[in-house]
Amino acid sequence: MIEGFLLGLSTGTSCLAFCAPVLLPYFVAEAHSHKRNLGALGIFLLGRLTGYLIFAVLAWAVGWLLLQPSADREIIFGAARLVLALLLIGYGFGLFHPACAVAADTSRGNRFQRRWGVPLPLWLGLLTGLSLCPPFLLALTETAQSPSLGHSLLFFLAFFAGTSLFLLPLPLAGVFRRIAVLRPVARLTAGVIGCYYLYLGLLMITEGGMHS
Amino acid sequence: MSVKSPAAARHGARPPVWKSLLKALPFIFLTAFMLLGGGASRDPRQLVPLILTFALISVLFFRMVHTGRTDRYRAVFFILMAFCFVLTFITNLIEVRGSMALTEEDMATGQTPFCHMVIPMTIIPAAFTRTIIFPGSILDGFANIATMFALWIGVTLALGRGFCSWGCFFGGLEDGFSRLRRKPLLRKIGHHWTYLPYAVLGAMVLLSAWTLTPSYCEWLCPFKAVTEFEAVTSTRVLIQTIMFGSLFAGLVVVLPILTRRRTQCGLLCPMGAFQSFSNKINAFDIRIDREKCTDCGQCIRVCPTFSLDANSVAEGKTRLSCTKCGKCVDACPQGAISFHVKGTPVGHKPERARMLFLYPAFLFLVVFGTGMIQGALYRIVLLVTTGSLIQ
Ligand code: SF4
Ligand code: SF4
Repeated sequence: MIEGFLLGLSTGTSCLAFCAPVLLPYFVAEAHSHKRNLGALGIFLLGRLTGYLIFAVLAWAVGWLLLQPSADREIIFGAARLVLALLLIGYGFGLFHPACAVAADTSRGNRFQRRWGVPLPLWLGLLTGLSLCPPFLLALTETAQSPSLGHSLLFFLAFFAGTSLFLLPLPLAGVFRRIAVLRPVARLTAGVIGCYYLYLGLLMITEGGMHS
Repeated sequence: MSVKSPAAARHGARPPVWKSLLKALPFIFLTAFMLLGGGASRDPRQLVPLILTFALISVLFFRMVHTGRTDRYRAVFFILMAFCFVLTFITNLIEVRGSMALTEEDMATGQTPFCHMVIPMTIIPAAFTRTIIFPGSILDGFANIATMFALWIGVTLALGRGFCSWGCFFGGLEDGFSRLRRKPLLRKIGHHWTYLPYAVLGAMVLLSAWTLTPSYCEWLCPFKAVTEFEAVTSTRVLIQTIMFGSLFAGLVVVLPILTRRRTQCGLLCPMGAFQSFSNKINAFDIRIDREKCTDCGQCIRVCPTFSLDANSVAEGKTRLSCTKCGKCVDACPQGAISFHVKGTPVGHKPERARMLFLYPAFLFLVVFGTGMIQGALYRIVLLVTTGSLIQ
């Protein structure tokens, strides 16, 4: 569980750097008081948590049904880690710019709100929760190796807690400027963590290769 | 527009020798007391290094005071300290252990000397587990954890990130390599890379808390290449060895030669990033007098740690990462940059501010470096007299 939390903490800076700028206009445009903004953030986080938990179940099911029985699972997981680590490195060191899923036009969210009564923050939260950004994909490979569904859910819960810490200050004023300063640091931190996962992936493949 | 030499621009003519001597004497006496306080050895192999080291310190400090230049003389001692440290450390290891490689047994018995690089990574685990995640001893041995922490706290309070140019016994290696060429071959390094040390710091602090091991030491620290490292007995250690070996070759040797910058300090070191925050609480900083500055950009070009850019110069300040080496102060053709005591007007009595900084800074440099330089000179005397560096 601590692993999930720390992975969330170390990669969550990218949520702040890349998803937050898309959310901020909402907070600034829609809500008036800190109290109301905090309420909206609460709903947003609920949507995000729902997205995470859906993925926790999916990741565990894929890992358990398809990968765990395989004799080469160390190599498969190692290779998955390696590829995702490379993605994280590419993203961290500025080789490409994956957008947060929430960057999708919020007008669709507005339509949902009008037609089905789904509050916009919940929709935005769900989208960030389902966003296939590299840190999130890394969390996915980790849970695909989970021994149980409970472990997988706990991992994602902790990952959610770690990444959410960065989003908590959003409704407060004056965050815009600090985000601009944090942005390069946040990206690069994700890149360094990617290097560590690259190393873990390499290790897993070489050790898996020796065992099989 | 006439361009004066930097020192002349700052001070006009040099002060009379007797005045400089008077200013330098208290420091020279202090050093003599430090070196001879315990009584000098009668063994000429110990005595010669002691006399040479004392002479070097006295001459360098006097020249700093007399010429108004800081970096030129600081660098001589700083670079010498780093290379002497490596020589002394490796020869000691070979004498005691027969090899630079650490065995699992050495680590289990806590025989690794504590190094300041690991300090930021120990704080969170220490808060949670009440242990220091490093295979060293708290109180025993020459570089025990308690002594290194005490020294680090002292130097941080007195100098802030000045530690990186006046205390760190690794920084001199790249400082030395960065001065090998007269002109850089590589000038452009993306500005965003200067944020990398903060990212490495964040990632390493989290990884260390997660794994309860000093992650930076294990798989990144380039200076293991010239001190000690884990014996290669597994794939894991092999991968780590390739990583720190390449980082040493790239960031401590090759890039400093090509760029004339301290690339490891400016682009990787998490300890440096951590230390940068202490510049906020330290009494000294480097300031630019905007009335004198002509925006020629010379200071930006010479700063070894990427601590000046057009924005910071326009604001009359350095970036947070300034190591107070004084290179920009020496280089500014207008004498617009000076050491500064926070809270006083910029450019007001700059020489007094410089002297106030130099006393503690050079004292720390001497405290850190004297033993290393003496030790290395002793090894050289041994080599000359016995034909071997090892006793
Ligand atoms: S402060 Fe820098 S830019 Fe300004 S005159 Fe001096 S060297 Fe040139
Ligand atoms: S800003 Fe000046 S004093 Fe600070 S590190 Fe750069 S050259 Fe040295």
